[in-house]
Amino acid sequence: MNPAILARNFIQVAWRSYRMGFVVLVVGILLAIFAPHFLRADNIINVLTNASVVAIVGLGMTLAIASGNFDLSVGATAAFASVVSLSMVPHYGVFISVLIGLVVGAIVGFCNGIIITELRVPAFIATLGTLTIVRGFSLIYTKGQDITLFGDTGYKVLSGGRLLGIPAPIIMAVALAAVLAAVMKYTPFGRHTLAIGSNAAAARKAGVRVNPVLWGVFAIVGATAALTGMIVSAQVLTANGRLDTGLELQAIAVVVIGGTSLSGGQATLVGTLLGSILITMINNGLNLLNVPASYQLLTVGVLLLLAVALEVSRGLDLRKVLRIGTSA
Amino acid sequence: MMNETKQILQDSDASTLAPLPPSATTPRRGGLGSISWDVVWERYGIATILVLLWVVAYFNVNYFGNVDNFAEVLRQSSFVGIAAVGMTYVILMGAFDLSVVSTLGLCAWLAVTLASKHQLGLALTLPLLVGIGIGMLNGTMVAYLRIPAFIVTLAMQFLIRGYTFIVAGGDNALYAGKEYTSLGTGFIAGVPTPFIIFIIVAVVGAVVLRNTPFGRYIYAAGSNAQAAQVAGVPVKRTLFWGFVVVGGCTALAAVLLGARLYTAGPGLEPGFELNVIAAVVLGGTRLSGGRGSLIGTFAAAILFTTLSNVLNLLSIDPFVQQVVTGSVLLIALSVEGVRSRLAERLNRG
Repeated sequence: MNPAILARNFIQVAWRSYRMGFVVLVVGILLAIFAPHFLRADNIINVLTNASVVAIVGLGMTLAIASGNFDLSVGATAAFASVVSLSMVPHYGVFISVLIGLVVGAIVGFCNGIIITELRVPAFIATLGTLTIVRGFSLIYTKGQDITLFGDTGYKVLSGGRLLGIPAPIIMAVALAAVLAAVMKYTPFGRHTLAIGSNAAAARKAGVRVNPVLWGVFAIVGATAALTGMIVSAQVLTANGRLDTGLELQAIAVVVIGGTSLSGGQATLVGTLLGSILITMINNGLNLLNVPASYQLLTVGVLLLLAVALEVSRGLDLRKVLRIGTSA
Repeated sequence: MMNETKQILQDSDASTLAPLPPSATTPRRGGLGSISWDVVWERYGIATILVLLWVVAYFNVNYFGNVDNFAEVLRQSSFVGIAAVGMTYVILMGAFDLSVVSTLGLCAWLAVTLASKHQLGLALTLPLLVGIGIGMLNGTMVAYLRIPAFIVTLAMQFLIRGYTFIVAGGDNALYAGKEYTSLGTGFIAGVPTPFIIFIIVAVVGAVVLRNTPFGRYIYAAGSNAQAAQVAGVPVKRTLFWGFVVVGGCTALAAVLLGARLYTAGPGLEPGFELNVIAAVVLGGTRLSGGRGSLIGTFAAAILFTTLSNVLNLLSIDPFVQQVVTGSVLLIALSVEGVRSRLAERLNRG
């Protein structure tokens, strides 16, 4: 066969499978050349740590989007789980408190699942409602005050702990991505989630018990949101009811930039990791280049549009796209 | 996406697929003679609840019936309300616009800045043009480039806010000159000026929806885009102009809000986009498109403000108020789902 054609095919296949990786690599090289100190080890670790914090809730959100839904309540859930968890530390110690935080997050998520499946409220509105309610709960719980941990309680481990020199958030994000990827690929739960995302009615007819699967998906989203919230509050050992406002849109942005399609049926967990790294890296580079912080808002917007432009420019199923264009 | 699947799951009857204006919607189950309670509830349910709430509050909550208080409720509801009129247009087509919060910030900042430079004419027109321009950008990307509305308008939210931060330099514009602020704080014949504009916008919006080809195209495109396309409805153009309408309405709300607050900046009213969507959906418009009305939107916008006013007058903790507001939204929207489940159970048994 003609080597030129072989090479082109190879590039096409490689691009399709690893394009987020390429983009991250190219942007990384550009930043290494132009941004002073970008390549310093502590800066790289800093970027990866910050990326991991968003990535963790992004991974949960990837599942929700793969199931054809999304969750606007993650910011509120993160805040609620963190304030509850932090307030428990003096009584029950760090380990139990973190567990409680995760359970609180999972319960909030589970409730979202129930409202969506049993009361048949569209996910957008259901999670918009719980956003308001859960945010209210966390403000009531804290009476609008900050909850601060004093002294050395060990809670800092969540954000500052290191294993073999690698910060805890990075380890948690990578481990979570690996576990969820395995779950999506090898378990009935994962396959059913994807089936519901591509066609819920067909999945139901094929015998998938749609509702319990969605409860599980939303419980996972809630737990990941809780983990992100607790890491953020561990960084400053403080939490309040207003923590993580706007996290929901960031999380969705990371997922979409990572290549998971909003139309459901497909999950790119590694893409979500890379998407968060890309955004954090660019914002870090802009900081190092002394670009005012207001320009960083533009980064997310431009990346989102680029990511989708890429998606749309590849071969497209016209019917599906038309449907997404009018209903997503 | 999920709306589509939800729709398939919930509605096995074909009435939602027919590209007809609401006045011609075929009665669904539960019809009594020519009256379909579904349609009646959908169109007047929230308005009825609003009036009931008013009556109960008037007799039971001190100061609620006070003319000044009542005028403030109406004034306060106008800003979300005007934007919600526009939002109804796109939600009827199964899309929505998350960028309105940033459009609001940019246009209000522009209006206050221009007014403070004593260019009142520009302050009232330029923001509207900017809002329409933003709508055209959104519309082009959604309708013609076929990028999902969620992503386009989310990206635009970040982009416009970033742009506003850059041009405003992070500072809020300030201006308290009467000739401009009277638009937001004044009265015409005893009625708050923004509310009069809200009524005008809602009435014009409703007439356009019910009595023009554009309005009928919106219902048709929202019910079933493919069928509408085949039937000769210019689906893409309709979607495009829908986004222009939201952009324009939001800009109008921004000009009035700037006049009401005397100040505006890029961080104006966080969460505005979700409040606007909540008002439209509480008003009975389906997120999946094709069904809904402006009467509902109009009443729902006032209902949210009335509710928070009543809770304030009862001196209920603002944090608890949030919980109440969210619960009202959820309860109102589960009614439909719960009823369809019951109906299914009855049909089966």
